[in-house]
Amino acid sequence: MTDKIDNEIVPLHALIEGKESRAVLADMQLKPENLPKIFSTDPQAVKLGAKPGDVIKIKRRDYGNAYEIYRLVVEEQ
Amino acid sequence: MQAEAINYIRFGIISPEGIKKMSVAKLTVPDTYNEDGYPIDGGLLDQRLGVIDPGLVCKTCGARAKTCPGHFGHIELVRPVIHSEFSKVLYAILRSTCFECHRILLDPKQVQALTDSADSEAHEQGEEAQRSNGRRAQVKGSKRCPYCKAAQPKLKFSQPTYFNIGDRRLKPDEIRDIVSKISREDLALLGVDLGISDPSWLVLSSLLVPPVNVRPSITLESGERSEDDLTHKLVDIMRINQRLEQNINAGAPQIIIDDLWELLQYHVTAYFNNETSGIPPARHRSGRALKTLAQRLKGKEGRFRYNLSGKRVNYSARTVISVDPYVDINEVGVPFAIAEKLTVPFYVTHWNIDKAREYLKSASYPTVINIIAQDGKRRRVIEGNREELAKEVAPGHILERQLIDGDIVLFNRQPTLHRISIMAHRVKVLPGRTFRINYCTTSPYNADFDGDEMNLHVPQTLEAQAEARLLMDVQFQIFSPRDGGAIIANSEDGIMGMFALTRDGTYVSKDEATYLLGIAGIYGLPEHSKNGMYLGKDIFSMLLPKGINLEAKTAYGAIKIKNGKLIEGAITREAYGKGNLLFERIVSDYGFDRLREFIFASSKLADAYATLSGVTVGVKEYAIDEELEQKRMKIIRDTFAKVSEFIEQYKTKKLEPFIGYTLRESLERIIIAELNIARNNAGDTLVKHAGAGNSAVEMARSGSRGNVLNLEQMSMFLGQQATLSGGRIKRGYYTNRVLPHIPPNDIAPVSRGFITTSFYSGMHPIELFMHAVGSRGSEVYKALLTGRSGYLYRRLSNALQDYYVRKDLSVRDVNNNIIQTIYGGDAVNPLMSRFEKKASE
Ligand SMILES: [Mg+2]
Ligand SMILES: [Zn+2]
Ligand SMILES: [Zn+2]
Repeated sequence: MTDKIDNEIVPLHALIEGKESRAVLADMQLKPENLPKIFSTDPQAVKLGAKPGDVIKIKRRDYGNAYEIYRLVVEEQ
Repeated sequence: MQAEAINYIRFGIISPEGIKKMSVAKLTVPDTYNEDGYPIDGGLLDQRLGVIDPGLVCKTCGARAKTCPGHFGHIELVRPVIHSEFSKVLYAILRSTCFECHRILLDPKQVQALTDSADSEAHEQGEEAQRSNGRRAQVKGSKRCPYCKAAQPKLKFSQPTYFNIGDRRLKPDEIRDIVSKISREDLALLGVDLGISDPSWLVLSSLLVPPVNVRPSITLESGERSEDDLTHKLVDIMRINQRLEQNINAGAPQIIIDDLWELLQYHVTAYFNNETSGIPPARHRSGRALKTLAQRLKGKEGRFRYNLSGKRVNYSARTVISVDPYVDINEVGVPFAIAEKLTVPFYVTHWNIDKAREYLKSASYPTVINIIAQDGKRRRVIEGNREELAKEVAPGHILERQLIDGDIVLFNRQPTLHRISIMAHRVKVLPGRTFRINYCTTSPYNADFDGDEMNLHVPQTLEAQAEARLLMDVQFQIFSPRDGGAIIANSEDGIMGMFALTRDGTYVSKDEATYLLGIAGIYGLPEHSKNGMYLGKDIFSMLLPKGINLEAKTAYGAIKIKNGKLIEGAITREAYGKGNLLFERIVSDYGFDRLREFIFASSKLADAYATLSGVTVGVKEYAIDEELEQKRMKIIRDTFAKVSEFIEQYKTKKLEPFIGYTLRESLERIIIAELNIARNNAGDTLVKHAGAGNSAVEMARSGSRGNVLNLEQMSMFLGQQATLSGGRIKRGYYTNRVLPHIPPNDIAPVSRGFITTSFYSGMHPIELFMHAVGSRGSEVYKALLTGRSGYLYRRLSNALQDYYVRKDLSVRDVNNNIIQTIYGGDAVNPLMSRFEKKASE
């Protein structure tokens, strides 16, 4: 089986450090809970070892247009 | 704005203690005013219940008519009555409980099952489910009590408030005693929300009397007072209550007391709802039925639908719309009668005070209706104070001036499905009684002129006016937010006129040229003429912005505009608005204002030329000559031959099936494709044969109306009629045929809804039947589709309406949650995307 997470069409996910995530939130004038969410049980979060409260950076390419989005890791409920 | 959440709303029943607590006065006198015309103390208009006469002071709160909120009073009923609106609830409770021991008529096992299911429901749905009492026990006519084993008597309930056991009537006080004995646990099982409701409260011994504000009396011109319907009914209740008391005290026979008691019950029932089934409605002296509490709230004319959902809006107008091609696309023609009634605030400053005086002094049309001083006091301007006010007016005053040309207003047509159903227009005051709009603006409103009405709103602050001007002006809505295509554009006759003017070989005389250009608002002639004649393309070019260049390919042919002159090609719908070629170039190089001017001028020019040259379409356009008839028959013959060949191959299993399809399905697909090809073929042949001289073909090619398929169906043959699922028509008789005239199991084109005749030639009976099958199918489909997709769209747009794009290009909601990190994933505004391809390319 091929690794589904390492497929080239799956956007790159990365855990960001507390300092960087604070900077990102300040830049966007956001509280963490305003971010879109990602479950801590998501394969990407599991792979990165992310815990609820962490922020994950996702590099996307839509319509040939590269940009980054951020998601807050939350408990699955 | 911060979104505030309502956690829940809890409805209950008012208790006797609640009534006592709310009441400021016990009312005892069944009358309103005394001989001096003064409210009677203890009467229904007691001054402790609030005041409505301007001179009087409220005895409860000390305020005057305008500020006193009104206060409730109460009547103590000598004998209790049943609340008629809840009698069914009482019935349900009575027959669910034992008449002897008053326990619920369920054995412990059933009770346990009920509690379990309620618990699991509450667990699934959270706290809300526990509060909502969706667990009303359904107990059906148990004959014997599971606890005390008493046989249960048959309780008969009859509308509105009668309970009988056999011949014996249960009196309200008896009922109250019974329901008071039911335990709290059993009541909870029956769905009673304990604490805020109790079945014994459904038997009334005191009645709340609403404040006088709720039921004001009116003084007629004759000086006579006329009381509200509610007051009338309350007087009735109090009269009977008093008589009942007197009879009881005098020791009257039980029959008389019972009769009066029943009468009291009737009046209270009518007071709550005068349309209660089972009682005759209480009437006014004139014979009109009284409007009591339920009638005030219920239905279309009730408080909810009429006054709350249907609030009226100030500074607005509504009338029928009609067309005026000389009204600009960002204007609206407003009838004088409306313009003189609607007002716009005129904020007086140092710089416009002279203008303010001018308006104030004017005795006729553009004049001032009201003047608002700095302290917010509004005064009406009349002949007597006009001069005086003109002297007094100072910066800071606001004048309410009549609507004049150029004022900005919002114009709307319902249903308001998308944002361009409301656009900002400039006022053009016109004689007549209808709003006038340019027909280029009909499509965003989805309006026509068969009696449609539209609404007009006058923004009342400078901010609102600026916002309307900058965001909602018609010229900024030319391109659709859906896909960037033009939705405000000339159409139909206008396209035909433009096409006829700009196609090769169109020349007009000097007279005609000046006439046409004059109508378009251009006073001048093209530079070049030939024998005193002007080329149509040159006339059109006069409307184009100076120096514009465009080269593009359209279905009709190439078009070339060089240095502001149309050199090659004709202006079709594709070249003009729909394909965005010309619009896009004008807006990107010259802006929205210039595009608006161009659309307005070209629509006037096109109409004028279409009127001048004329375009005629008649049946002869759709007749086909012998040669074309031969071609038509050949297409049909060849197609049928091919199809029967495929059918033959299918029968002998020589046909190669498509992947994922059975042999029969593959054959069906091949046949449908083959018949489709035949129709396209016929269309091409028709256009090639009928050629340039045919007005119907010209219409289709210029894009003004109709398409090649329409023409083909009118002149050549109708082709395959399809069902909802897109397949050929096959349902009918059990011998696998549509009609008894068709051989069983036949799958030839004509047996399955292929029509070889045209609208011009007429259809054979079997073909006509097939056509009717297809037509009905598409009609049904259309009805279902519009209803469903309309509702779906409404839900979607309502769900999205408060999202906005922040300046960092993220999409957020009111609580600052990120909905999209970058709008649309590419931050492209579809409105601008046609001429700003930067992000998507
Ligand atoms: Mg209509
Ligand atoms: Zn008061
Ligand atoms: Zn019992």
